Amino acid sequence: MLKKDLLELCLLQLLDGGDKYGYEVLVPLRTAFPDTQESAIYALLRGLGKEKLTSWYMAPGGGGPDRKYYKLTPEGRTRLEELSGQWRRMRDAIASFGVE
Amino acid sequence: MKQPKSLTREQYLKQFSRAVRWRLPPRESEDAIADYRELIFQEERDESKLVEELGEPVQAAHLLTDVKSYRRWLAVFAVLAYGLFLLAKWDFTGHSSIYLSSHDQWWYPVWVMAVGMALSLYWFRRHGQKNGPLSRRLAPALAAVLVVGVVVIGWAWHVMSPEWLERAAMEPFGGPLGRQAWMLGDMLMYGGVFCALAALTGLVLAKCYDRRWLALYILGVTVAAMMGFMTFQLKSMDVSSGATDMLRSYLFARLIPIGAAGLVGTGVALC
Repeated sequence: MLKKDLLELCLLQLLDGGDKYGYEVLVPLRTAFPDTQESAIYALLRGLGKEKLTSWYMAPGGGGPDRKYYKLTPEGRTRLEELSGQWRRMRDAIASFGVE
Repeated sequence: MKQPKSLTREQYLKQFSRAVRWRLPPRESEDAIADYRELIFQEERDESKLVEELGEPVQAAHLLTDVKSYRRWLAVFAVLAYGLFLLAKWDFTGHSSIYLSSHDQWWYPVWVMAVGMALSLYWFRRHGQKNGPLSRRLAPALAAVLVVGVVVIGWAWHVMSPEWLERAAMEPFGGPLGRQAWMLGDMLMYGGVFCALAALTGLVLAKCYDRRWLALYILGVTVAAMMGFMTFQLKSMDVSSGATDMLRSYLFARLIPIGAAGLVGTGVALC
């Protein structure tokens, strides 16, 4: 799995926990992957939208202007399961070498 | 390690908008700009860490770019911009350093116009996008180019009339009619450059905002090509030959279809 796939897995997992607006998605990912800039994560998020793995809608933000909320589509959920499976296999393979 | 430069929210958004509009189709770029506006103006966001967290604006735009189609656009833009440079140069200097023994030089501007029209219409009809209602600035811009074209070509019609040429032939050097002829030369020089610049502006705006700005490119390239055609023709004509009544009809019989083709192209670009 490449770092991009790991980022995608985390991003889809975040959205699986509920619809989120852009900043809510970007900040935890940047915290988890400090060497990755938010623009790269945003590009990934946009790419997922183009692949129809996520969709978006506008909704009122906390007192401010409307915000763009991202949500997982059924195709996105399938992709999440696929990536989760890959991640588990990789984690087990690495653990078999004694890496903790 | 190089420290990221500090930008205010407004500066960041401005630089990002400019970069993304140049790289992405208009609707996609508007969408990305709206998303970045939301991200940048988050209350929690520390303005001093904007570049550190989001990356350089141009780099952020580059990450959203489809590199293949962007390179294709750059190639198309290079061809069209080079054509405009040639037109401006020919209009300004009145001569071309390109020589094809099989073709008369005065047709060179018309070829540039034909290639520019065909290539730009093909590219923008295929890859360009309309974006909301027609810009209010487009009509005055088109009118300005049209006025320049009509004034210069109208002045040429006046200066090339058989009566005017006969009177000018009898006038001593430096007389008022001579000055009128010089004025035509200046109008062709500066009018041509102005139209080429207007065409370049139309091309950039068609890419960045709305493909209907291509109408300005096509009208500008048409008028600049007509002026180039006239400049080359006038430089090669022998005014003292006595066939003065022929000069004007010869020139305008060719200018009218060129202008008509350009107007049709302008109309197509607006649709």
